[in-house]
Amino acid sequence: MSERVYLLPVWIRLWHWTNALLIITLAVTGVSLHFADPKLPLVEFSLAARVHDIAGIALVAAYGFFVIANIVSGNWWQYVPKPPGVLARCMTQLRWYTYGIFKGEPHPYPVTKEVNFNAMQALIYWGVMYLLMPLLLLTGLIFLFPQFAPDKLFGVDGLLPVAVLHYLVGTAIILFMIAHMYLGTTGHTVTAMFKTMITGWHEH
Amino acid sequence: MRTNWYRKLIVLLLATSGWTALAAGDGQVDQATIEMNRKANEACYACHSAAGIAKPPKADIDMSKLKDSRLEPSIFNPSDHGVMNCLECHSKTHYTDYPHAEAGKSSTASCTDCHAAKVLRLEPQFNASVHAKVQGVKEKFTCFTCHNPHINIVQKRLKDPAKIVAQDNQGCLECHNDDTTYARFAPEGEKTPGQKKKRPDIDTIHDWLPNAKAHWSAVRCIECHTPAVAENKMLSHEILDKEKAEKKCLSCHSANSTLKVRLYRHMVADEQQKFGFTNSVLLSNSYVIGATRHPLLDSIVIWAVVLTLGGVLVHGLIRIVAALRRKGQ
Repeated sequence: MSERVYLLPVWIRLWHWTNALLIITLAVTGVSLHFADPKLPLVEFSLAARVHDIAGIALVAAYGFFVIANIVSGNWWQYVPKPPGVLARCMTQLRWYTYGIFKGEPHPYPVTKEVNFNAMQALIYWGVMYLLMPLLLLTGLIFLFPQFAPDKLFGVDGLLPVAVLHYLVGTAIILFMIAHMYLGTTGHTVTAMFKTMITGWHEH
Repeated sequence: MRTNWYRKLIVLLLATSGWTALAAGDGQVDQATIEMNRKANEACYACHSAAGIAKPPKADIDMSKLKDSRLEPSIFNPSDHGVMNCLECHSKTHYTDYPHAEAGKSSTASCTDCHAAKVLRLEPQFNASVHAKVQGVKEKFTCFTCHNPHINIVQKRLKDPAKIVAQDNQGCLECHNDDTTYARFAPEGEKTPGQKKKRPDIDTIHDWLPNAKAHWSAVRCIECHTPAVAENKMLSHEILDKEKAEKKCLSCHSANSTLKVRLYRHMVADEQQKFGFTNSVLLSNSYVIGATRHPLLDSIVIWAVVLTLGGVLVHGLIRIVAALRRKGQ
């Protein structure tokens, strides 16, 4: 019989699914805006622009909540890979993803109530949530209020570097999202991690 | 803008000489003539300028009459007509003496005197315009209603898109953003018989347009309120009402942006794909999402997404095959 542990409080689950919904909305509308073309069946431009603006503001609010709730609850500590041997643990985890998982080997670092993430997961989550997300939101806000962008840069409109950075960081987050959703199937069963993210209970 | 056959004939005859050639861009005014004209204009500025009004050359001049007819050399000289003598348009016979004869006002030269061929070409466009379609409005319109001959500079000379936008939108906003001026031209309101049509609020009628304010400082009203234009052709003088105006965002926000043949028409010849961007001439003034793209960067992004999706798909398939094999064993 599998062991159950209550891992994720309601606020984390609510934030996670709100964040997921917003990121998917922003990705779809963002692609529709950037690759706007009469020949492509994308979201209508003016609708995409309005939805992207509203969802973007909502994402700023959701991120603000995430940061404050992490500080208040102490959950931020989960995102810090704990030395010594961070790199070695990352390599072990990578070996499992590229070899051990196919052999049916057990997870090298099973989830506990104290340590939710393996070292590789903590490092990547930290990078996404504390490096990429602030960059995405900041460039998005400047995009929304272009009066704060530099007037001119390298002889072109000052919004250009902001727009390019927003595009690239947005892409990096979409790539993360694809990998994140797939790795969600690598739990005890294919759906186990998704269930955990809904109920808060982890099985292993 | 009424036309008849003899007027057309006169216009065609006029189109062969003098300022007409200059107006058509065929001639150059030499520096000596420009200096001579500007020197002559100083006599006008002695009264018709802020400095003249502050310090009149004569004691008995009624300066209150000048409030609507003052001009600054710093504004007029760089304008398209700034090389000319004021008296070229403002009758030599009526403006050389003071006080000026009342008849001077009605004998001011018309645009057709110099721009005959252009007027002939534009007239049908204007006649199809929303400004000519409303009863009682067409008669009140002249070229000066939208184009200020003392200030305006053609797109090719003005160069900076931001300045072109500011100048050209001013011609529209003078009426469409001002109740008093709008009332001078407004017809009777459909819902208010006997009363003039109320000026529609600009923000309200454009509330369908995302980031409307950003558009107004980046593009001209006529980018959407004129019909489609062919490459290397001048924009039409047929101003479209809100029903006919462009509402498809992709007209500008796509790789084949019409901005290339509109606001940036004069710069397209200089297109050099700066920093690898498509439509990089637009970047001189604005980042236009959908139009100012970087094909190489887009290819890298698309490949990164395809490879990631492919990667997880292959990983997943191997997992399934491996699990099935383990089960079989």
